[in-house]
Amino acid sequence: MDFKLTEEQELIKKNMREFCEKYVDPIAAEIDENSRHPAEVFQKLAEGDWMGIPIPAQYGGSGADYLTHICAVEELARSCASTGFTVSIHVGIASMLILLFGNEEQKKTFLVPLAKGEKLGAFVLTEPGAGTDVMAATTTAVLDGDHYVINGTKTFTSNGPTGDTYLVFAWTDKAAGRKGMSAFIVPRGTPGMTAGNHFAKMGLRSSQTSEMLFKDCRVPKANLLGKEGNGLAMAMTGFDHGRTGIAAQAVGIIQAALEESVRYAKERVQFGQPIARHQAIAWMIADMATDLNAARFLTYHAAWLKDQGQPFSKEASMAKLFASEKAMHHTIKAVQIQGGYGYCKGAKVERLMRDAKITEIYEGTSEAQRMVISGNVLR
Amino acid sequence: MPHIVVCFKWVIDETYLRRAPGGGLDFSSVDYKLSDYDRNAIEEAVRIRTALGGTVTGITVGPPEAAKGVKDALSRGMDAGVFIADPAFVDLDPSQTVSLIAQAVRNHVGPFDLIICGEGSGDLYAQQVGPRLAEALGIDCVAFATQISLEGGTLTAQRRLEGVIEVVTAPLPALVTVLPEINTPRIPGVKDTLMAGKKPVRTLAKGDLGATGGPRLQTLAVRAAAMERACEKFGVEEAEVIRFVDALKKRGVLA
Amino acid sequence: MAVLWIFSETTASTKELLGLGRELISAVGGSITVLMGPDGEGREEWAAYGADEIILLPPLADGLAMEAHIPVIAAAAAEEKPDIILLPATARGREMAPRLAQRLDTGLCSNCVAVRWSGGDIEMDRVVYGGAAIQTVKFLTRPVMATVAPKTFSPPVPEEGRSARLRELPPLAAGTVPGVRIVEKREKRRLARDLTQAKVVVAAGRGLEKKEDLALVEEVASLVGGEVGCTRPLSEELHWLPTELCIGLSGVSVKPDLYIGVGVSGQVQHMTGVRGAKVIAAVNRDENAPIFAQADLGIVGDLYEALPKLITALKK
Repeated sequence: MDFKLTEEQELIKKNMREFCEKYVDPIAAEIDENSRHPAEVFQKLAEGDWMGIPIPAQYGGSGADYLTHICAVEELARSCASTGFTVSIHVGIASMLILLFGNEEQKKTFLVPLAKGEKLGAFVLTEPGAGTDVMAATTTAVLDGDHYVINGTKTFTSNGPTGDTYLVFAWTDKAAGRKGMSAFIVPRGTPGMTAGNHFAKMGLRSSQTSEMLFKDCRVPKANLLGKEGNGLAMAMTGFDHGRTGIAAQAVGIIQAALEESVRYAKERVQFGQPIARHQAIAWMIADMATDLNAARFLTYHAAWLKDQGQPFSKEASMAKLFASEKAMHHTIKAVQIQGGYGYCKGAKVERLMRDAKITEIYEGTSEAQRMVISGNVLR
Repeated sequence: MPHIVVCFKWVIDETYLRRAPGGGLDFSSVDYKLSDYDRNAIEEAVRIRTALGGTVTGITVGPPEAAKGVKDALSRGMDAGVFIADPAFVDLDPSQTVSLIAQAVRNHVGPFDLIICGEGSGDLYAQQVGPRLAEALGIDCVAFATQISLEGGTLTAQRRLEGVIEVVTAPLPALVTVLPEINTPRIPGVKDTLMAGKKPVRTLAKGDLGATGGPRLQTLAVRAAAMERACEKFGVEEAEVIRFVDALKKRGVLA
Repeated sequence: MAVLWIFSETTASTKELLGLGRELISAVGGSITVLMGPDGEGREEWAAYGADEIILLPPLADGLAMEAHIPVIAAAAAEEKPDIILLPATARGREMAPRLAQRLDTGLCSNCVAVRWSGGDIEMDRVVYGGAAIQTVKFLTRPVMATVAPKTFSPPVPEEGRSARLRELPPLAAGTVPGVRIVEKREKRRLARDLTQAKVVVAAGRGLEKKEDLALVEEVASLVGGEVGCTRPLSEELHWLPTELCIGLSGVSVKPDLYIGVGVSGQVQHMTGVRGAKVIAAVNRDENAPIFAQADLGIVGDLYEALPKLITALKK
């Protein structure tokens, strides 16, 4: 057993904290309020090699391990859950899938600019009728000469309006069931692919979410990721990585909720003493700190398994399930602790509470995580 | 091309200090950091090297755990490190630290053009190591610089004193201590941190260096400063307002 | 009996050091020597303030800074062995003291804020860990050396009719001339407004009745060398001041030596941005305003009555 981060991981985490204090904290409330994608922050993230931490140096990344990336996502989310998430899906799903399943040519063409942070990745799977039930998707990709022709409507695509490199999932052989879906790398600007309606969200507001519309979108055969029919399996692998990132995002949110609660509880005086001395408040904070530790260990453990080359699907789901539900629970408590002040715009806990909710929903709802976990346990 | 030596210290991050019952300090949950002032020193050395070429060698004294600080410092752009390490090297007197660094510079670092120190350390902030080191090495010293440049074997520095700014020159080799406003230290990127571990570090043990002499000061106590504020209230009558101003003066916060 | 030396840089700091010196010497007996530049300007005063002896340092060649006195002072101290040497904790003093201490191979207490005798030993306090703690030290070597924080000790009450011996130190027969040369000197310009860097911040709150009254707050700020900041309502709702000057949860955090809240009630949203201040002071007419629970010093009273009196007192 070794519960210590390496020196490098610790230093990188500290540096990310400093980065956030300097570049993210000052704008976090504003980009939430205005639903703005902070391009200037992503420019800085790219300069500091934060956009491709676990991607090998030969493909433009930093060549560190996955846990280091997870630490960075946690710290980012502690300041701004949206920014943390954008990095998580860009690295954990879009870039990781090309790294794991792309051929050399695809890695050179698409992965290198992603890992350097010159391009932003997006994951295009969900459809209006196909959320947790992925098999209900209807988007198709039909081979026509040297091209696949994609038709269909995708929705809730994170980085939809802002992305550069899209991983699009479509049926190449619907009759083949779970082995009938394929994944394609579609660069922004490909004729026939457009971002549809943008969604105005309760939380995670600076992350840009939209529909993605495909109308006779012709994608070269060379852009097929992995083998035809392998799409669903690859998506599941992507989720293992992505969910670990969402868990880290939730850990960052709990950390921020705890800090806000501790600070306020020590300062706010009611009945002649700081409310931290009231047991009702003190116990909320005790639970918060305890769940934070548990969530963080689950998350780091999932990432550690990944770095050891071991299966981590179940652990990623456990980390995501636990951390996200605790994030929701404790951000509600954090608002409760700050009372009326916490309920007002401008209070960080108010944003944390809205941001926390999505962690229970995307990249697999809590219900979907329980399906994965129970499926593993009951196997 | 200049060889610049930078001194740095791995210090307790004061934000983690807690007040212990009884007025002492609770160090149980402390974390460490590279002293903020030394980040400016390193940045300035790296800035000069980027402009003029040459090399930057960092040097620190501390317990073996400070190895992480060496890595942190190297991730900020220095080329090599000298780590004077021993479990006993905690809470050294400035004079002892200077003795160790001076010996290491003389015997293990080789010829240098400039030594840059932060204005003080982030923990004890005695602001002694820089000026003492200049004396120990018998070189010129310019303290509290806000701007420096090297040209033709001469250091030109702007330094900030109370109410006045002085521009001075000094022949190299020289030592300069820099104020935080001299630059904005970088936040190391991921690759900078990963590469830091691959840079050469020379570790010197106690036995590699001579004696430092005993401490010159003895710390009798370190106790928490009053953190909870007990408001002293004043009236609005003229005499009370004057007493209020005097109280501010007594606390040394009125310039 | 103790012999105490004071290095004189400025009139104000020398008076403060004499105040401290007299306190120390009166307890054990002894004498105080003030070392000063060759012009001896203002030296007549030092006797009244407690100096028993004035030493004039030899003239410096053109372009040499005050630090060039170090070799002469060190040589004299090595020979005459004073028990205590005090310097002001000015930029100059903070450079000279450690260099002198190194030459004399002795300990130095930097930026000392309190001094006392304890069983024949001198103990000193200094601030460490960014203000979080106070360190108490004693000296294992002689001379005892310290730089003394400005405005920590009061000048003594002058005693007319005291006199001090005067002597001059000759230049060193053989000494290396320092290489540092002053090539330019200029007065400092006032910096543009940057609250986060300000040493003193005076914040205006809702207690102000109209925008024109900010002039009162600004006058206080300029008298204490500070910058004006405000609470959120003043910048975001009333638009009396720019957003950049808003302090608190939704604005900037400041870390001055002194924060004065004027008409600030002390809501946590604002106070969270000033927690780093060394000293928090308040002016508010509501004795139960929360700011008083978070302040070190506070005037309870109408700001329109208090501020003019404060301005008068500060001008003195």
